Amino acid sequence: MTTESVTGALKKARSGVGVGGSGRSPSSRERKRQFTHSRTFTLFVLPSLILLVLLNVYPVVYAGMQSLRNGDLLSAGNFVGLSNYISVVQTPAFLHATLFTIIFTVVGVFGSWSIGLALSLLLRTRIPANGLFKVLLLLPWVVPVVVSATSWNWLVATPQSPLPIIADALGFGNPLFLADPLNAQIVVCIFKVWISFPFMMMMMSSALASVDVNVYEASKVDGASSWQTFGRITLPMISRSTYISWILMTIFCVNDFPSIFLLTGGGPVNSTQTLVVLAYSTVFQNFQTGPGVAIAFIMTIVLVIISVLLYRQIRKVNIE
Amino acid sequence: MSAEAPAAQLVGKLEVGVSPSKRRTLTQMQERGKWWRFLALIIICAIVLIPIVAVLILSTQPSLGSQTQGFTLENFGTIFAKTKVGTWLMNSLTVTLVTVLVAVVVAAPAGYVLSRGRSKLVSGYSLVLFIVQSLPVVTAVIPLFILFAQLGLVDNLAGVTIIYVGSTMSVAIWMMAAYFDSIPITLEEAAWMDGCSVFGSFLRIVLRNSLPGVLSTAIFAFLLAWNDYLVAVVFLRSDENYTLQIGLQTFFQQNQANWGLVMAVAVVMMLPPVLLFALLNKYFSVGGIGGSLAGR
Repeated sequence: MTTESVTGALKKARSGVGVGGSGRSPSSRERKRQFTHSRTFTLFVLPSLILLVLLNVYPVVYAGMQSLRNGDLLSAGNFVGLSNYISVVQTPAFLHATLFTIIFTVVGVFGSWSIGLALSLLLRTRIPANGLFKVLLLLPWVVPVVVSATSWNWLVATPQSPLPIIADALGFGNPLFLADPLNAQIVVCIFKVWISFPFMMMMMSSALASVDVNVYEASKVDGASSWQTFGRITLPMISRSTYISWILMTIFCVNDFPSIFLLTGGGPVNSTQTLVVLAYSTVFQNFQTGPGVAIAFIMTIVLVIISVLLYRQIRKVNIE
Repeated sequence: MSAEAPAAQLVGKLEVGVSPSKRRTLTQMQERGKWWRFLALIIICAIVLIPIVAVLILSTQPSLGSQTQGFTLENFGTIFAKTKVGTWLMNSLTVTLVTVLVAVVVAAPAGYVLSRGRSKLVSGYSLVLFIVQSLPVVTAVIPLFILFAQLGLVDNLAGVTIIYVGSTMSVAIWMMAAYFDSIPITLEEAAWMDGCSVFGSFLRIVLRNSLPGVLSTAIFAFLLAWNDYLVAVVFLRSDENYTLQIGLQTFFQQNQANWGLVMAVAVVMMLPPVLLFALLNKYFSVGGIGGSLAGR
């Protein structure tokens, strides 16, 4: 690529034109085709739009209205205003679930990111059986959560499990890891990191692959240490992907129902209950639809606000 | 050896000014560190894979009340003969494959519009997709349960499939769009000049060259549908309609201590996605999501 074409492509990228696009405004001759284009494009988008409205937008609007009523799964009930929200927010279970959701998310995001990044850096170098390692390390993410939760249960939760026996031999007593509130919280967080790091590894690997190798050569010539190279060059170069992966993982963690539900069911004594699990158990186990939907809706609002703000932020970073 | 050594020294002396040794150190260091990194990766893999290896080992151990000792495959025979694992497996496969098919067919054209369209509407659609992706499934599940109850879609595999298709949509569209971005538009422009319609060029030129993108999207949809728990646990009620997720969970609750049988079901459940990944791993990339999210 000559410098001219590079600057040209950059200019196009800044004004939002794809590499293939011409960036010129359509001439009058092309208008007819523009029209058929937009008609075909509408037809192309329509099926997905219908699905999205029916399966995502409609339920959320419905849930919003339901959270203002005192109905159950069978009847709509009466309009009760914000009383569901007020009563829910005042319960200690809600506050505790909010707090644990935050802890779970922060540990999940940064734990999986740092491990995923470290592994992608390791795998980037030339190593025997590189491809095999990549596949093996993706397995925690590929294996269904039900399977891994069952397996973790066997590993940590019964008196015959290997981990309590090892802990016993080391003189820590024989802790049943999922029976003690604090231990259960730790196990659930580690479980989440274990499930999620492969995703981060994939995100970071593809980000690292797009960094120009010449930059490293240059920094080596300038005598930068590997820590300096990492902190001053690698990290800034992959900052956009890092940012996006944090956002996606935050959404995944906040919305994660099966990891916690299958491992502990929210217990012991509700210590590992996150907002999703609380919403589920309020609706489907205590049959209080109004308050349950209110909890889910509070989550929805917070997530939508966060995602819109972050979406803008990503685009801003991208244009700069 | 003896003849070569002094010669090498001589060459070394001659090249002092360029210092070849220093230039070589970088690659030498890479070579030297190679086996340490290899060892580190083996240890990391060993630790990370403990829970998965445990499943495999336990599934081949004799179950409670069995006469055999040591390695055995009888657990697999037992679960297929005495439980509904076969039915659950078929249910899971049907639901997952239909989801994959519909998701790709619906997402591919939409991804194409997202990749090629340059209007306010398109970027608005992209924002909608982003918001939808962040919505908690729990919020949607409750109203959908009420709606589907009226339509007779509760405890029905079709109902679950519809929801899976809906929840794959936004990421599937991004993935397709990300792949289409890599196909130069000039190919289509040439086809249009020759009188090809937009739909024709999409089908014959763009889609035909997008096998990796389609596979990537398909794998994503497969994993989402196969690994889902929340939707299945809410919507599926009778055990002939269970998917493997719910089947394994109820089986686990009924046979707490009988790890051999439980883990055999677990192996049946994890085999399809693991095989899929082992075979098609090179096509799968989530990195594209990042690019397509930020790109428009």
